[in-house]
Amino acid sequence: MSHNAQATGLDPTLVAELAAIAGSDGIVSRSAELKVYECDGWTIEKCSPDLLVMPRTTEQVSAVLKALWRREVAFVPRGAGTGLSGGALPVNAPVMICTSKMNRILSIDLANRRVEVQSGVVNLHVTNAVKRDRFLYAPDPSSQQACTIGGNIAENSGGPHTLKYGVTTNHVLGVTLVLADGEIVELGGPAEERCGYDLLGAVVGAEGTAGIVTRAVLKIIREPEGHRTLLATFADVEAATHAVSAIMASGIVPSAIEMMDQLIIRAVEDAFHVGLPAEAGAVLIIELDGLVAGLDEHAARVTEIACHNGASGVRLARDETERAGLWKARKRAFGAVGRLAPNYATQDGVVPRTRLPDILRTIQVISRKYGLAIGNVFHAGDGNIHPIVLYDERKPEEVRKAIAAGREILIACVEMGGSLTGEHGIGVEKQGEMPLLFSPEDLIAMSELRHVFDPLERSNPNKVIPRPGSCVEVAAPHRQVPI
Amino acid sequence: MSTDEIVQRVSLIVGAGQVGAPTGRAADAVKILSKPGDAAELAEVVRACETDRIALAPLGAARTLSQIRSLPVALGVSLGRLARVVAYEPKDLTITVEAGLSVGELNRALAPARQRLPVDPCDPDATTVGALIAASHAGPLRLSEGTTRDLLIGIRYVGHQGHSVHGGGRVVKNVAGYDLMKVLGGSFGTLGIITEATFKVRPLPEQYAMTRLSFDRAEKLFAAARELHDSLPLAHLEGLSSAAAYACGSPARFLLVAGISGSSSEVASLRDATARAAPGAVFVERGDALHAYARLRDFDASAWALTAQIAVAPAQLSSILAATDAQYLAHMGCGVATLFLPEPPADGRITIDGWRQAARRAGGYLRILHAHRSFRGSVEFFDMPNDGALKLMRRLKAAFDPAGVFNPGCFVGGI
Ligand SMILES: Cc1cc2nc3c(=O)[nH]c(=O)nc-3n(C[C@H](O)[C@H](O)[C@H](O)COP(=O)(O)OP(=O)(O)OC[C@H]3O[C@@H](n4cnc5c(N)ncnc54)[C@H](O)[C@@H]3O)c2cc1C
Ligand SMILES: Cc1cc2nc3c(=O)[nH]c(=O)nc-3n(C[C@H](O)[C@H](O)[C@H](O)COP(=O)(O)OP(=O)(O)OC[C@H]3O[C@@H](n4cnc5c(N)ncnc54)[C@H](O)[C@@H]3O)c2cc1C
Repeated sequence: MSHNAQATGLDPTLVAELAAIAGSDGIVSRSAELKVYECDGWTIEKCSPDLLVMPRTTEQVSAVLKALWRREVAFVPRGAGTGLSGGALPVNAPVMICTSKMNRILSIDLANRRVEVQSGVVNLHVTNAVKRDRFLYAPDPSSQQACTIGGNIAENSGGPHTLKYGVTTNHVLGVTLVLADGEIVELGGPAEERCGYDLLGAVVGAEGTAGIVTRAVLKIIREPEGHRTLLATFADVEAATHAVSAIMASGIVPSAIEMMDQLIIRAVEDAFHVGLPAEAGAVLIIELDGLVAGLDEHAARVTEIACHNGASGVRLARDETERAGLWKARKRAFGAVGRLAPNYATQDGVVPRTRLPDILRTIQVISRKYGLAIGNVFHAGDGNIHPIVLYDERKPEEVRKAIAAGREILIACVEMGGSLTGEHGIGVEKQGEMPLLFSPEDLIAMSELRHVFDPLERSNPNKVIPRPGSCVEVAAPHRQVPI
Repeated sequence: MSTDEIVQRVSLIVGAGQVGAPTGRAADAVKILSKPGDAAELAEVVRACETDRIALAPLGAARTLSQIRSLPVALGVSLGRLARVVAYEPKDLTITVEAGLSVGELNRALAPARQRLPVDPCDPDATTVGALIAASHAGPLRLSEGTTRDLLIGIRYVGHQGHSVHGGGRVVKNVAGYDLMKVLGGSFGTLGIITEATFKVRPLPEQYAMTRLSFDRAEKLFAAARELHDSLPLAHLEGLSSAAAYACGSPARFLLVAGISGSSSEVASLRDATARAAPGAVFVERGDALHAYARLRDFDASAWALTAQIAVAPAQLSSILAATDAQYLAHMGCGVATLFLPEPPADGRITIDGWRQAARRAGGYLRILHAHRSFRGSVEFFDMPNDGALKLMRRLKAAFDPAGVFNPGCFVGGI
């Protein structure tokens, strides 16, 4: 069934009106070109929009949304499309509004440590713009070379360094939000305190259901004086995860603790030859940053704790090149996995840090049960796991198994006191699982909150909150293979 | 409904011994005080209030409401009997507590594992966790540790129809569903009654020391603050004018107080760097430093005739402070300051309007923390958001509190 049945044949006068607003190069209507937008990083489900609009300014976004509002047409915002939960999938939303032409850094204010950007600016470009002055933008998703600030705000994205520095919501001070009816609202601002309810806090993580963010005021921070980056090698993931808890309990707050298991280590080593110990059962990349004065002492403590917890070796990156090599290995791990199987699905569960050994054991059991290889590369310091389930989409049975295995892992996370998602969001992928975590009362309150911004659900409809009755349809729009 | 009728009605739910006349500050804020024994009783109280349209106010130490309101609300709800630590696993660096627990108690629960919740309301033993969240408080450590909103990762509250609603969870990273923590945080009890909260906690630094610098001119204070903030990672950085400095125990016309913390080698290095960046700095260490910090944290806004919190883009703070006649205690580097006047101004409204306009021009806002009785009724405690935001705020209030019973009329724009 087509999910955009209501839109088949978008009114030509609407298309003309939108083209007049966004310019003829700001619009894509040919179905072959629209195919590019049929999914994001969550490739299991696909459906194309009927029309893509790429506005350049807040005013254009407002005019576009007003035109859609008058005709009762729903839309989906899209940044770079790196989302891993199908958030930018145009389910029941004929028009996709992409921020790719809204990519200007509007101002840099070093005295106030603020940067003001259009929402289509790529995450890494913010840091690049202030690097010379020794500042950086702290949230650093592994997709930071591509993903946009608007997408980061919608997903409340994190990254390796959020262990110490926090996630997106801790670094956004203000936004311009265009509501579904086209009204432009300013929330927050350059000050650190809010006036009235923290609506900005609600927009962050709303997964595009509150309207379109067109501009953001971000906090930047001073680059730390120094770093120490360690690679600790373990015989198995169990020992490595115990080491994580022990480090966290020691009173030292590393800026990142990332784990890779055997399968990932091999894939990365084969792809990039960065010198990871190919035989190891697991490695931890541990980064410490801050004043140079304390770093060697902390690095020695962490080394001692790791060895005490079974590390067979701890290597300190000797220089910036070695450090960059380790981070390159980590950040490209997903890409390296692509060499192991035709397809993979990245899961995103969270457990309390102390339950990491339990969840990794459970993942092994699930892997054996379904006969699918599952690799693990994740933000261990946060308890945020990313099991990567390998499968072959040409085999419908494997697709079914991959989905079932992912679901079982998430259920286990919730049972261990964790969550369904630490950074990728609910999107379409995990709507069905929301009741595992939230009661009907919780979900009603969340719906009410969403309706404060978008009472008619025109902005990214049918997302996040499962709908009673229509759940199945929402959770499985146009799967690429029948399941 | 008469006061007696309300007492009767609520007694049926919480027991006669748990309803009565309020005392102390609470007496200025509410007519009756009730103390539900658990969340289920609280839910029933809320349902009863909705049915009978009885306005109710959740209370901590009642320092805020007694200021904001000219008339007391019918029913106060104290969470004094919901004050347990629900879950604490030191290795996870998270803690879940009931909202009636005091911030002081919470920190004592964390202390054996050498951890803390690094937000410090004045008088932590009086401030409840619920009030801390609802008033969205943050003290000097906000410079290095962020604010309550940064540390709150899970919440449970009793909302309309007595529904117990939760958002977030017990893990440090969680983006499942909408962020109800942010919505309830800073809501001043107008959307529901917070019953439980989960925080990220942090390790207690090994060492803490304080640096003090005295100045005869404000400009020198601002220049030194800028220099220190630019060159060093400080735990906190406060600028104090004379009355604030005196209240904090160190007479000076202008005083800069910088906190340094970390391992012993970090503190030693910061000490050297501070001495280089700010010649003349006096160091206070160990117990003396902690004691001095507590005086700074407990700086009492209600001791003054008019006190306001101002929040602006950080670099604009010094020009605002330079232009005002007010005394101040300023979180330099964060753009947040407490302004106060020891004596009631000739016209409180004019004074407040002046401060408010200055804050707006600097991209920020102003909130009154305390006003002398003589003009309390005539001033707006909260700054007004822009029209678009206010419209959404009204919708939020209507959605979460359709019966209009949670702390009506005490928040922005009369919400
Ligand atoms: C290899 C790889 C590694 C990744 N690593 C991480 C990681 O470490 N941490 C992490 O958190 N995520 C990670 N992700 C997931 C993804 O990159 C993030 O969720 C990112 O924030 C999405 O940004 P985007 O611009 O691609 O958004 P999109 O995928 O285009 O959209 C994501 C959601 O945001 C909404 N949206 C986009 N722009 C706007 C806007 N302007 N206004 C309102 N809503 C909007 C969309 O409707 C959608 O719901 C990774 C993804 C990949 C492919
Ligand atoms: C004199 C004074 C000085 C202050 N100084 C500062 C300052 O420097 N910086 C700053 O940021 N703030 C400041 N504040 C505000 C301060 O954050 C609060 O007063 C304090 O944190 C809470 O203390 P309390 O127990 O007296 O709260 P209360 O006055 O009892 O409650 C505060 C608010 O929270 C609501 N509330 C209480 N419990 C709950 C609950 N369980 N669920 C939902 N709502 C609840 C109340 O209804 C009220 O609106 C100051 C306030 C005063 C009165």
